[in-house]
Amino acid sequence: MLKEQQHYDYMPWRRRPKITWPGGARVAFWVAPNIEHYELYPPPNPRRPPWPRPLPDVTGYSWRDYGNRVGFWRMADVMAKHRVRGSVSLNVAVCDHYPEIIERCCELEWELFSHGTYNTRYFYGMTEDQQRAVIRENRETILRASGQSLDGWLTPAISNDEATQHILAEEGIKYTLDLLHDDQPTPIRTRSGKPLVSIPYSLEVNDVPLLVMRNTPPDRFAAICKAQFDQLYEEGAESGTVMCMPLHPFLIGQPHRIAALDEVLRHVTGHDKVWLATGREIAAHYTQHHLAAHQAWIQEGTP
Amino acid sequence: MSGLPADYLDYPLRKRGMDHDIYPYRALPTAKPVQWPGGARVALWITVHVGHFPMDMPLKPFIAPGGMERPYPSFWDYTQRDYGNRIGIYRMMKAMAARNLKATALLSAALAPLYPVLMDDIAAAGWEPACAGLDMGHLHHGQVPEAEEAATVKQAAALLRARFGDAVRGWHSPAHSESPRTLDLVAAEGFDWTSGWLNDDMPYSMATSSRPLLAMPLPQDLADQKMLQQQNMATEDFCQSVLAAHAALDAEAAATGGARILTLSVTPWLMGQPHRIRAFGAMLDAIMATGSVWNATGAEIAQAWQAQQG
Repeated sequence: MLKEQQHYDYMPWRRRPKITWPGGARVAFWVAPNIEHYELYPPPNPRRPPWPRPLPDVTGYSWRDYGNRVGFWRMADVMAKHRVRGSVSLNVAVCDHYPEIIERCCELEWELFSHGTYNTRYFYGMTEDQQRAVIRENRETILRASGQSLDGWLTPAISNDEATQHILAEEGIKYTLDLLHDDQPTPIRTRSGKPLVSIPYSLEVNDVPLLVMRNTPPDRFAAICKAQFDQLYEEGAESGTVMCMPLHPFLIGQPHRIAALDEVLRHVTGHDKVWLATGREIAAHYTQHHLAAHQAWIQEGTP
Repeated sequence: MSGLPADYLDYPLRKRGMDHDIYPYRALPTAKPVQWPGGARVALWITVHVGHFPMDMPLKPFIAPGGMERPYPSFWDYTQRDYGNRIGIYRMMKAMAARNLKATALLSAALAPLYPVLMDDIAAAGWEPACAGLDMGHLHHGQVPEAEEAATVKQAAALLRARFGDAVRGWHSPAHSESPRTLDLVAAEGFDWTSGWLNDDMPYSMATSSRPLLAMPLPQDLADQKMLQQQNMATEDFCQSVLAAHAALDAEAAATGGARILTLSVTPWLMGQPHRIRAFGAMLDAIMATGSVWNATGAEIAQAWQAQQG
């Protein structure tokens, strides 16, 4: 068992080499809708039961199914209204189950990255070959369904195992969202030396932890997201920050919550020094312009 | 044979005072009044829980507050907490420095070799370093073998003293959890104060097998870990509760002539989040705005209290 994570180096939040975003933006703002499919009858996993209730967990299943039938469409319209593209954290089986959703995403020029095949198939306990097989199959499916390359990765339910990041790099994934340690992109160390960067995702302004685990009412949800943005916007004057807003259509697409999303996007897009980016664009910009300087600073002992 | 053994109805310690010899009973209204420098009614003690949560931490006999909540290897839990030591604590340092305030860092000693740069920055900020055990994977409780616990206390103290020397005066048992021997071990290692017990608003002396330890007040009910993380309260609820506590302690000090202590129990991976840091600053402003506040470290408060005991 690992005592510490082995993927990133310590980088204190002061005197880091400056990050600049396109157009002089202070903050790279990206929205990551998790478009998922949870199976009605998933197989068991040794480390985590897929549903809290005995199968079929009709409550859990139908709650999430609302996202693909109703919530997604409502959410996508609000995002389109504010001209905010999504970077989809996609259970790629959605390409087979609901091609209409993928069509709409492509129409809106959203990025698709992989969130595994199904959200009920965890990486806990998979062999390296099994993990590799999932990544390769996901790459093919996304290419077939959208013509896009697979550049980013978030393990289903963040169930990444010890070797997952190493395998991602070996399989040519460019950016990972499995690590929640920072508000800027950071270099990732991999056993092969193949390049991989970490891009900030969020569990702080993520609708699942906020709305489901922390019992936050919609207006407070909007206020927290706005406070998160305001702080990162202010700090971004010194060095570019990243704000990710992960969404789940079955939650944010509910009628009583959709206005909160509208309000947050209105607030964010009302600022001029914001880069409305996708995950892929943030990763590429960082890798091209700032990764080497960050690595050099780590080498020097983060003076 | 039914029912319980006869001695289940024996009460050998049923007498006036405590059911142990660690400290005598004291009712706060009868405690000897103390004064703080400059006549301040309230000492503001900001304690920052700078914890390290190993990925392989034991989850039995109980999970430390803030411990791993998901199956191993929980990169989710680990990196979210580690965020506090990379980023959150620097936001808090900045907020405090801007207001000329200092804190006590309750450090998992394992962080000293792991993040030496963070130790340098804590020292440069003028914060007091205190020892909060080795890490959150080494809790103190009744089932830990004596030799193991003694070694943990010794190792933790040595790691922090190697970096901070004699500035390390205080001990905080992680998760407010102790074995029957913890206080003896801590005193024997030469610590002056400890803050694991939740039973008072003011310091009091604890007896150990070697020398007395000063118990410092550090709340759990009014801690961001408890309110934000465990009880899922809103940031505003935590901040308003702190201000309510301050108002009550300030009024008590004015009424009785005995100064009080407001201990802030805050955590970088919670309070240092972007969406909370402004509320943290606003809370500090509101506390300072009342005037009559003495911001001090644990060692300074302990010393001031001790000097007036006669």
